Amino acid sequence: MRQQIPLLITFIVGTLLIVSVFIPPFGDLETTFNIWFDIIAVFAFFLGGGNLLRVHINKLRKRKRDWGFSIVTILGFSVMLIAGLFKIGNPGDIASAVDAPGSLFYDIFNSVQYPLSATMYSLLAFFVASASYRAFRAKNREATLLLIAAFIILLGRTPFGVMLTGWIPDSTSLLQIPNLAIWIMNSPNLAGQRAIMIGIGLGVISMSLRLILGIERSYLGGDK
Amino acid sequence: MSLPLAATHPRLSVHLFFPIIVIVLTTCSSAFGQSDTQLDTTVVDDTVSIAAAPVTTLLVEDGKYDDGDSLRLFWVPSIDDQLIDSKVTGYRVYRLVNDGAAEPIVDLLPGVGNYTDKNVELDSSYVYYVATLTESGEYPSIHTESISPQREWINFRRGYLFIIMMIISAAIIFYVETAKRGKKLFVRKIAGLEAIDEAVGRATEMGRPVLFIPGISDMDDVQTLAALTILGRVSRTIADYDSKIFMPVSRSLVMTAARETIKTSYQAAGRPDAYNDDMVNYVTDEQFGYVAAVDGLMVREKPATVFLLGAFFAESLILAETGNSIGAIQIAGTARPAQLPFFIAACDFTLIGEELFAASAYLSGEPRMLGSLKGQDVGKAIAMITILLGVVAVTLSEAWGVGIMTDLHAWLVKVFSSS
Amino acid sequence: MEHFALWLSAFLTLGILSFLYKDNPWYKLSEAIFVGISAGFWVVTLFWDNLVGKFWDGWQDEPMLFVGAALGFLMLLRLVPKIGWISRWPLAFIVGATSGLWLMNYLASNIMVQVMATIQPLFSTGYASGFDAGWGAIISSLVIVVGTFTGLVYFFFSKEHKGAFGGAARVGIFFIMITFGASFGYTVMSRMSLLIGRMDFLLGDWLGMIG
Repeated sequence: MRQQIPLLITFIVGTLLIVSVFIPPFGDLETTFNIWFDIIAVFAFFLGGGNLLRVHINKLRKRKRDWGFSIVTILGFSVMLIAGLFKIGNPGDIASAVDAPGSLFYDIFNSVQYPLSATMYSLLAFFVASASYRAFRAKNREATLLLIAAFIILLGRTPFGVMLTGWIPDSTSLLQIPNLAIWIMNSPNLAGQRAIMIGIGLGVISMSLRLILGIERSYLGGDK
Repeated sequence: MSLPLAATHPRLSVHLFFPIIVIVLTTCSSAFGQSDTQLDTTVVDDTVSIAAAPVTTLLVEDGKYDDGDSLRLFWVPSIDDQLIDSKVTGYRVYRLVNDGAAEPIVDLLPGVGNYTDKNVELDSSYVYYVATLTESGEYPSIHTESISPQREWINFRRGYLFIIMMIISAAIIFYVETAKRGKKLFVRKIAGLEAIDEAVGRATEMGRPVLFIPGISDMDDVQTLAALTILGRVSRTIADYDSKIFMPVSRSLVMTAARETIKTSYQAAGRPDAYNDDMVNYVTDEQFGYVAAVDGLMVREKPATVFLLGAFFAESLILAETGNSIGAIQIAGTARPAQLPFFIAACDFTLIGEELFAASAYLSGEPRMLGSLKGQDVGKAIAMITILLGVVAVTLSEAWGVGIMTDLHAWLVKVFSSS
Repeated sequence: MEHFALWLSAFLTLGILSFLYKDNPWYKLSEAIFVGISAGFWVVTLFWDNLVGKFWDGWQDEPMLFVGAALGFLMLLRLVPKIGWISRWPLAFIVGATSGLWLMNYLASNIMVQVMATIQPLFSTGYASGFDAGWGAIISSLVIVVGTFTGLVYFFFSKEHKGAFGGAARVGIFFIMITFGASFGYTVMSRMSLLIGRMDFLLGDWLGMIG
């Protein structure tokens, strides 16, 4: 029973959504599902948020390593929660948008969350550099190809690439790096991209079918 | 006799109306001429009357293959709707619902000749007209006939899509069944998956944990589902080897599902008491907040093995490079082509697109699962044959005008555009 | 107040950047703040947008929303050990719906559209290629067809990559590697501009050295 009902739900819902593509009166099912999903996700958030609090409170109670930072996390979480749920400092009343400029929620977002997020994102510049460096020591033919293509595209997007091969006569203009970069993007890159996408499409179909038909049930606890 | 004269004597009507039309036309044109000269000479004020011809041939029809929730309008734009120096500033569509008052429903740009009204209901009737807009006013067209939207139960336009779906699905199911009956099916080696046992074993030997990141998407992304099915196999190995796993996640639903998955793997391995909810923890939904926390965890816990499987976005490289810097064996996979190169650069093994979805089937080694992979290959073969056939057909058709090839190409276009 | 916010932003920005050197208390503090604040941000956002916006404001017109809410409620039964297994129902619902939706979407958008796009005449001059005339166009078109074809050969699972088939698969993986290289190279510059943005904040907005 504990296995059968979920499998049946998956089968019915999955089949219904596939069929809905061909039956216009069922056309809204996708939208309905998405809204239901959003609502379920909020309920799940009680579990997630509760778990976050529990983990940090435990760390604090048991004085585990770095427990001091757990206080900061709990505080940050609570402050944001109170600021947002009670709409503290909002220019309008409770009906105003939660992220209305001037509200505490908005201010914390702007001066704390935004810079943190943007800086974490910007770390990519360093990591791209270190990954490129590693790729430079191309170990085999495939990696070498990756490297050459990356190098040409990179140069093609900078003025340096134009400068470097600007002397090449127009009759063989393809060899000018910016042109070569465009050709790579539009021909071999496009071909590889398509093969990958078609493959992914088939992978998704097969995966989905296995799930709908209940062949794949490891997420529900294996085969027992 | 209440019949109008014109209806009873057609010839007479022509005689009567012709002079009237001529008079009206001459007055109109002289009026236009006057306003033109006025514009040329002196500007009197800024509300100069600019008349424009209304749109013509306004037609309305029911939206095909829908739930009775659309009506389509077509018209020929006003003859005064020109590219240069146009008098027309746009069109306004008016609608009369159930013979009620006319209400404007949308303003459109000049040059537009159609509109689909998607805000209609099954049991109501609708009449439309389109007004040509100028700086000085509106010039309405005639009204359409009254129409009620119709509901269709089957979308025949997607017939070929249905057939293609059935063929691919049937191929997969066919091989699943074939394998179930005991026929041995060959599946080639996938390097990244062969390495899993070894990678988990290494963690056990080193006494360090395994880190599993299921991407940052929620359960409504099939990549996350693929990651969880792989987690089912990996956590079984972990349970068998008595290694440790930790799994920070960025979605509450994924946390719940992952706990369920690992728990059952531990039960299947006969070690239910070794399972602990703390193996999976929710961090935050925020993309980079999650990354900040995982990066911190990586350098502090120093996992021996890192799995990065699922939907990844810009954070892919931050995670993979940090994992690389702590010397972990990294097995990555995603179906997001833009992130694959970063995994290839920073990880030991990368599952490319389709391989991510094949992974759990491959790892299970179960005949039915392997059968589904063979079924997928039939889909690939169909795609390849179609491409070859299509390219040959369209080339022969365009270069040498081979008739049958033109037909073949046209048919392929019809089939593959039916989505 | 504005001054304080600016200094706080700068403090946190530097805290995250300090991770590049090594893990340290400054980073840990920034990380702890980030996790707490952003988790709170998402609870609040989901609460107002989804629970209030989609459910509470909508159920009068759309009573079916209660099914969604009921499924959500079943999720919470995890907290009750004895009947926790019922929380598998909403999960099963989500798995079914996701599978069904993605199956059709990917069949249409990934397979049919891509196959259709590859069917182009070899002598076409209209095909996007870099060089569009004569032999150049033919070669470009051939490269696309061969690349797509062999790329698909690489993904074949049920046939060993040996002989001619193995050769084709090898050509396929070459194409796939060029694709990865291209998207790698394409992204590098945009990543650099992210860092420039943060430097702009630190040196300009905060320290007022540029501007």
